[in-house]
This record gives sequence, C-alpha cells and structure tokens, in this order.
Amino acid sequence: MTGSFGLDMDRRTLLKLGGAGAALTGLAALTACTASGGAGGSGSSGALKMLYFGQQSAATTLQKALEPQIKKIDKSASLEITGINGTDWNDFIAKVLTQIAAGSAPDLVSVATEGLQQMAAKQMIVPLDTYVTKDMSSLQSYFDDVHPALVESMMYQGHLYELTDSFNAGSMFYSTNLYAKAGLSAPAAGWTMDDFYNNAQKLASLGSNTNAFDWVVRLWGSWTSFLYANNGNLLEEGKYSGGDWLWNKAYAGNPLAQGRGGGWKWGQPTANATPSVEALEYVIELQRSKLSPSPDVGGGGTLQGLFASGRIGMTIGGGFWAGGLHNAGMKTGSFDVAPFPTWKSNKSLFGAGGYGIFNTSQKKDLAWEVVKMLVQPETFDIVYPGNVTTPARKSLMTADRYKTTGPEHWSVFWDQLNGSVPISAPPYYQALATSLNQRTTQALSSGNAKAALDGMQSDLEKAQANS
Amino acid sequence: MYTSTETQAVASRVTAQVAVRRPGARRTARREAVFGYLMIGLAVAFVTVFTLIPILVSLGLSFFSWDVITPPQFIGVKNFTRLFSDGQVLSSFGVTVLLAVGIVVLQISLGLLLAVLVNSRKHAWTKAFFRTTFYLPLLASTAAVSIFMGYLFDAKFGLINYYLGELGLPAVPWLVNPVTAQITMVLIVVWQQVGFTFVLFVASLASVPTDVLEAASIDGAGTWRTLFRIKVPLISPTILFATVVAMINAMQLFDQPFIMTKGGPGTATTTATISMYQTGFQNLQFGYASAIAILLLVIILLITGVQFLAARKLVFYQ
Repeated sequence: MTGSFGLDMDRRTLLKLGGAGAALTGLAALTACTASGGAGGSGSSGALKMLYFGQQSAATTLQKALEPQIKKIDKSASLEITGINGTDWNDFIAKVLTQIAAGSAPDLVSVATEGLQQMAAKQMIVPLDTYVTKDMSSLQSYFDDVHPALVESMMYQGHLYELTDSFNAGSMFYSTNLYAKAGLSAPAAGWTMDDFYNNAQKLASLGSNTNAFDWVVRLWGSWTSFLYANNGNLLEEGKYSGGDWLWNKAYAGNPLAQGRGGGWKWGQPTANATPSVEALEYVIELQRSKLSPSPDVGGGGTLQGLFASGRIGMTIGGGFWAGGLHNAGMKTGSFDVAPFPTWKSNKSLFGAGGYGIFNTSQKKDLAWEVVKMLVQPETFDIVYPGNVTTPARKSLMTADRYKTTGPEHWSVFWDQLNGSVPISAPPYYQALATSLNQRTTQALSSGNAKAALDGMQSDLEKAQANS
Repeated sequence: MYTSTETQAVASRVTAQVAVRRPGARRTARREAVFGYLMIGLAVAFVTVFTLIPILVSLGLSFFSWDVITPPQFIGVKNFTRLFSDGQVLSSFGVTVLLAVGIVVLQISLGLLLAVLVNSRKHAWTKAFFRTTFYLPLLASTAAVSIFMGYLFDAKFGLINYYLGELGLPAVPWLVNPVTAQITMVLIVVWQQVGFTFVLFVASLASVPTDVLEAASIDGAGTWRTLFRIKVPLISPTILFATVVAMINAMQLFDQPFIMTKGGPGTATTTATISMYQTGFQNLQFGYASAIAILLLVIILLITGVQFLAARKLVFYQ
C-alpha cells in the first residue's frame, strides 16, 4: 500500500482541502452563532414562545387552553409553550440560560424569586411598569387579591418585572399519624422552637424507622428557615427606593402595603453572623441527636417519598406539598401544616413565581396580554393542576380547593406571608446557591458550622464583587 | 525496507503499468481514491466539527469575559491569572486527579485480575457468561446508574445500609462524609467501567502465544510468575492503551458526582468538570469556564504524555 489512493492528489492537496473544509465548517458554525446568539426571541411573525417549568404534557395543556384566547386578540398569533424539567429552580434556570446561549431566547419565561433579580439585573426581562400603569383599572381586581409582599418580591430597583401567580411559604408539615402515635397534639398557634424540639424527641422515640424531622439542602426552606426564624439572613436585608407608582395606586389604603419599597435590596453577606451560625449549628445538633438524618441536596422527591411512606414526622414545605403528598398517595387528614415555629422572631421565608417578558421579544405587547391571562383566576388550575403550588390570589385559597388534597390548616400558607421575607436571591443567586449547597454539606459532615460559614462568607463576597 | 518516497515511487510505477495495461483502470483507481478520501473525510469532518472547533472556540473564549447575554469582552489572560489564584477551582483539579488515580489503578488491576480468572476457565460458556456479565454495566446509561447508586448508597434508606443494619453493623455515611463519598464514587465508576478494561485484557491474554506459555511451564514457572513475567509484559501495550483511555475518561468525571452528591459534601467530589459547569452554566462566566476547560485539556495531555514516556521503559512490544 502507498500513502495515497492512487489519485493524482498528494498529501498536501488533501490537507489543503481538509483545511478548507474545516474552515468552511467553522465559518458556518460561527455564522450560526452570530445569527442566533445575539438577538434571540421570535421575530415579529411566528409563534409566541414561552418556557414553562414543568412537564411538556402540562405545557401542551396550557398551550391548548391559552391559544384560543390569544387568537381573540390576534387571529394570526399562536403560542408555543415548551416544558423544561428541572430538579429545582437552580436547574431550571441553568437550562433556560443554556437555551438562550444556544440562540433560542423565548418571548416569555417562567421566573421564580430565585432568578428574578438575576434576569432583571442583566436586562433579560423587561419592567412591566408602563403596561401595568396602562391597564391598572383592569388589573385592580388582581392587586386587590394578591398580598403586597408577593408583588414586592417581584420588584427590582423600583420596577415591577412580573405579576406573580403563585408562591410557597416555608411552613412546617407534619404527619398526623406519627403525631398521634407519639401522643402529640397539633402544634399550637405561636409554637416555639422548644415545642418543635420536644415534639421531635417524642417522634424519635417511635423507633429507628422514624425520622423526627428531615429537610433538603437548598435556599428555599432548608436550614435557612431556621435562620429566618432566628431573625437572620445570608445577606443584609434592605429595600430599593421607588415603587410608589404602584403602591399609591394599586394598594392605596391597604395597611399591608405600608413600608413597601421598590423591591428587596440584598446587601453585604452576613453568612457567618451569629444568627447564621446558630441556625446551622441547630440543624447539625438535630442530626447529632439523631432527630434528623443527613439531608439530600436539591430537589425534594426523596423527602416527599419518605414523608408519604410515614417515615418522617416533620419537614419544611409549602403549598406545593399538598398536591405532592396527595399525588404520592397520602390521604387527606394524614398530614397537616403549621406555621414555622418562632425562635427569636416569627420571620419566615417564601418564594414566588410568575412570567417575565424577554427583552429580545418582538412581541412584547402580545406577551403582556398572555401575562395578564396567566394571572386570571380561571387560568391557575390549568397552569398548576392539583395543588402543586399555592395560588397568589387569596380568592383561590378556599376550603374547597384543599378538600381533596388537604391539609386541613391550609390558611397557614397565606397567613404566614405577614411578616415574611422572600428568599435572598440577589443577581448572583446561582453562585450563592452553589456556595450554600457546598458549605452546608461541609458543615454537616465536619460538624463545624462556623468554619463552613466563614467559607460561605468569603464565597459570597467574591460572588458579589464579580457580579 | 522502502522509504516512503520509494514506496510512493513504486506505487506510481505500478499504477502507471496498470493504466497502460487496462484503459479503465485509472478511472477505477480514481473512484477508489475518492471513496477512500470520503471515508477519511467523514472522520476528519466529525473530529473537526465536534472536537477541534469546540476546542479552538473554547481557547478563544478563554480570553473573553462572556455571560451569554451581553457581548463578549476581550480581557486577555485575566481568566488564567484568576484561575491560578482560585483556591476552589484548583482544589477541584486536585479532587479530579485524586479520584482519577484511584479509578485508574482499581480499574486496571481489577480488570486484569478478572480477565486472568475468566481466561483460566476451561468451558467456553463460562467465559462468555462472565464476559457478558462484566461488560453489561458499561452499556447502562451513566445517569441512570448514578441515580440508582444514589438510592443504593443513601445513608438514610439505602439498601446497603439496610443490610448492614440487618447484620448488626453500623450504617456507613457513604455519600455524606468527604472520605467515604470519594471512595464510593471511585467504586461506582470502577463498577461501571471495569468491563471495558476487562474485555481488552481478555482479548489480549488470549493472543499470548501458547508456545511461550508452554516454554515457561517447562522451565518451571508457576502461575504468578507466568502472569507477572510472561503474560503482563506481553500484554503491556494493551495495558498502556487501557490506562491512557481510563485516565482520560476519569479526568472528565462529571455524571456520577453531579447526580449523586452535587459535588459534595463540601467540595469533596467537586471535579474540574463540575467546577467548569458551575462556572459556566450557573455563574454565567463562560470565558472563565473555558479557561478551566483549557487547563483540564492541558493537564490531560500532560498526563497522557507522561504515560507514553513511562511506556518507553515499561511497555514491551513484540
């Protein structure tokens, strides 16, 4: 055999041709990047693209429900909803950003508290101020129905970026069966951390198959719930100025709107401050005393399975747990909910969800119409069938809604919003979440909360500087 | 022996003679040549599009600051200077090397041991059975295996701790203690990957000349001496190949730690690729993530180079 195939083409020619081919391929790839990477979003024609956090089947159902209404506004318009799965919001945001990086930016995207400031700070989503002001009269019934704490959590630097349609406050779910077996009565209103600890001890005495308390390592509803109750936070709490344009009109005369500002301003990291150290040490102590097992990181599927199978006495959950536990086979009455116990304060946390309009969208006006549809009372159960989250509208929180799933004390979800603070999700939320996961597991495995939180403080300071 | 120039000259003469003898031969040769280049072209195009261009783009991107949303900004070598002073990222490289060494050592030694044992079986069906059994995990999706293993090794309700409890043994914090998490990770990767090295070694051991083994036997060499003095040297090129491939794979470890521990506890299983993912897709620092990728590439190249250098002394080519 020779080095060639007998054609009058030497190696140099082959290399030249190969090089040219590679260059062309590269050029084509770069062209593709340039064409799609910058702009994103759909053009002025074509379907309105929406990214939905959940299964594609649910996204398709929603699409079918909304499209006829969109056609009423614009006969030529259509809606294309893509479901994106994720273990948690962290995972969802990463996937959305990957899609944007690939040059496929949507017109509308599902954004929870976790991603709101990040997207707003990077001007990925647009403020809704002018739209809201323009349609204030038709939106007044919405604002009358929604807690101002939820609306404020969707503001950033004085501007409103989303109309929230759902939220989840970190309450304490408990197994009524295990409570009964341990001879415990339902937690009283205003129960304290001491009550919680006593209950946990009694639940643990049921045997090694019962975990008195379990939780998940994440920003929402993990040891952070204890941190909030201990009157602390990972970042300094503050408010942006502004927002009067909304409060003075939409919430005029509403005492719950007093002192509201232009959104939560997350300041200097306070991860290694005393309340943080105490809160993390508290959950480490729960583990050491065998009142709590080692928690999973992210998601809540395993925790839900364990709770549903009667192996966990208490855990932190929101309205989403009602549908989740029901779907996992728990019967109404086999679990209930109480407010998070009071420690040094009764401050609790929550996260809210809604839809943001992408800055690159060529159909912002139509997208706004869809946003308004999404907060209509009749849309809620199409978007979130089966109590898989808590409705932002108070009028939707009825005994009838929780009749089939439970819990009995569903009103806790809403009541807990008074005096609550959203999860501390600054524009550098992803870095914060990564550090929180790493440093929490470090503390749990080493037993040294202070050292881990010193590390987190340093991580957050760096993340803040780089953001 | 011909030099390449001489070879080409001879080939040209032969081609010319064939062309003189048969008028259609040149066309046939041309057609064959085009076919040959097409075959090579496919591989070249594949490697170019899926390997070379991404590497070059990553290299270019490593000199930029880019958050996907705003246009990239050229920042020179800042990403690299930051990288060499970033304790967390450097620590992830340390974790990667530590896990990779554990994986490669165990994967090669276990693969060899299993191959020797299976090769010593007399019945063909037992050999086929073990070959299939040990290779099967390799066919499973790494993500599925990781999820499954996560449940198996769960400290709270995992099957392994359950049976340890049944035996009166204490529960092991498999994935919640830094050291046990690293050991568990190595075991899981080796469990899934050992089939690859095993199959290579089985084939290689089968090709060891029987006359050499017979001669060793006549000279009184026992089982171990035959293994270490005859078989291992003879299959050393395969061992080198398996080691290089296993090391390259292990240095890119991502799925198992990402799914099972998210890189924890702490940063005990945060590998360089997880660090890269977090930097790029979570912190939106794609330029910095590219710099991490380039450093990982350089380290893999260096390790591979060292392996080949060591092979000059350790590998025996027949």
